[in-house]
Amino acid sequence: MSSDEIEENEEEGNILVWLTGLAFLAAMIAIFIYVPTEKTEGVVQRIMYFHIPCAWLSFFAFFVVFICSILFLWKKDREWDIYSQASAEIGVIFCSLVLITGPIWARPIWGAWWVWDARLTSTLILWLIYVSYLMLRAQSDAGSMRARYAAVLGIVGFLDIPLIHFSVLWWRAFHPQPKVITSEGIGKGMDPTMLVTLGISLCAFTLLYFLFMGVRVRQEKLKDEIDRLKREKIYSS
Amino acid sequence: MNLFLNQISAIVWKDFVTELKTRELFSAMFVFALLVILIFIFSVNLSVVKASEVGPGILWVAFLFSGTIGLNRSFMLEKENGCLMGLMLVPADRTAIYFGKLISNFVFLSIMELFILPLFMIFFNIDLLGHLLPLLLVIFLGTLGFCALGTLLSSLASNLKTREIMLPILLYPLLVPIVIGVVRMTGQILTGEPLSEMMNWIGLTASFDIIYIGVSIMTIDHILEE
Repeated sequence: MSSDEIEENEEEGNILVWLTGLAFLAAMIAIFIYVPTEKTEGVVQRIMYFHIPCAWLSFFAFFVVFICSILFLWKKDREWDIYSQASAEIGVIFCSLVLITGPIWARPIWGAWWVWDARLTSTLILWLIYVSYLMLRAQSDAGSMRARYAAVLGIVGFLDIPLIHFSVLWWRAFHPQPKVITSEGIGKGMDPTMLVTLGISLCAFTLLYFLFMGVRVRQEKLKDEIDRLKREKIYSS
Repeated sequence: MNLFLNQISAIVWKDFVTELKTRELFSAMFVFALLVILIFIFSVNLSVVKASEVGPGILWVAFLFSGTIGLNRSFMLEKENGCLMGLMLVPADRTAIYFGKLISNFVFLSIMELFILPLFMIFFNIDLLGHLLPLLLVIFLGTLGFCALGTLLSSLASNLKTREIMLPILLYPLLVPIVIGVVRMTGQILTGEPLSEMMNWIGLTASFDIIYIGVSIMTIDHILEE
């Protein structure tokens, strides 16, 4: 990557920083001022505007890992490897946030930090799969082998998601139906103000994803560049 | 096609001859599975819980744990003395290596399971003979899925620095659908439900098997590449 290209990327990054900042400002205003407090759940319900975007973002990030893994195995281009690594890291962070904000919300509403509900269980398994993906990356040295192995795991892991979803759903179906998720308001339709707030929050988090991606990808490319320069200097001096 | 089958059977035959000569893998898997069952019997109070409720879970944990030992061995053995390199130099398709390893893993694990089942019957005082056929079908589906994904990941993990540690970490979260499926089905079979009651689970485990055999065929070339 040439230095011009890096500068150009930086400018684009700056615009994205401002956009994301503005979107988060709007989201904060919407969450804490605009939207009225939910009647039955009270103030704690506002965590939903973080919880759902985080969940959406982690699923989106894992989907990007899947697509980039396929493209990597097809084209064998380091670019796709960088993208899938960056996306997996972001996905794991936001999946962890889902698993943290979830119990905080659940404790006052359901009376328990954790219930073995279908959605919670599959999120936890998803988190484990992608943590093992990152561990695989940490275990192997940089190079074509790591990229290929990670890509295979990225594909295998994503294909498991529908299977996990159904198995966990049927697993719970033999027990009393958890009333919690249905009575929580997602099923029965939301107030328009809540939908608007959720929409703004989703936009803000999606912009944040692209911002993080840009930073992480640039960082990884600079690392490659440094490695290349180091090798050059060792042999020329 | 004939050549392909010959290549597969050559690899399976090689694994069997090695095993018959050394006899280290099978005995280790069997004793380990027995130990797992024993430890679980100590950890649950069988006079309080019903054996048919905890039994299926314990049985499958024993199968999967000892199966992991087998998977770890299957490609590690080839890494020693550069046998894997030799296998890859053979003018054979990489999928032949995969299927050869899949079949030998599957057969080793199945034999081990057949030895464990009577002991399970005695320890838990459960009568399996009445519903042996559906049980064997479930064991077949579960073991095949475990070996299909396990062989792929074991070929991958064998090249890592910490292979014995990484294989279960990579494998177990991905195995969740099949573990839930087979444990649930085994439990239902032990309570005498017919197979037609659990068609959704059979479909799920069968599609797991098919998906991962398919993915392995498509990706094994990228793993076994030097």
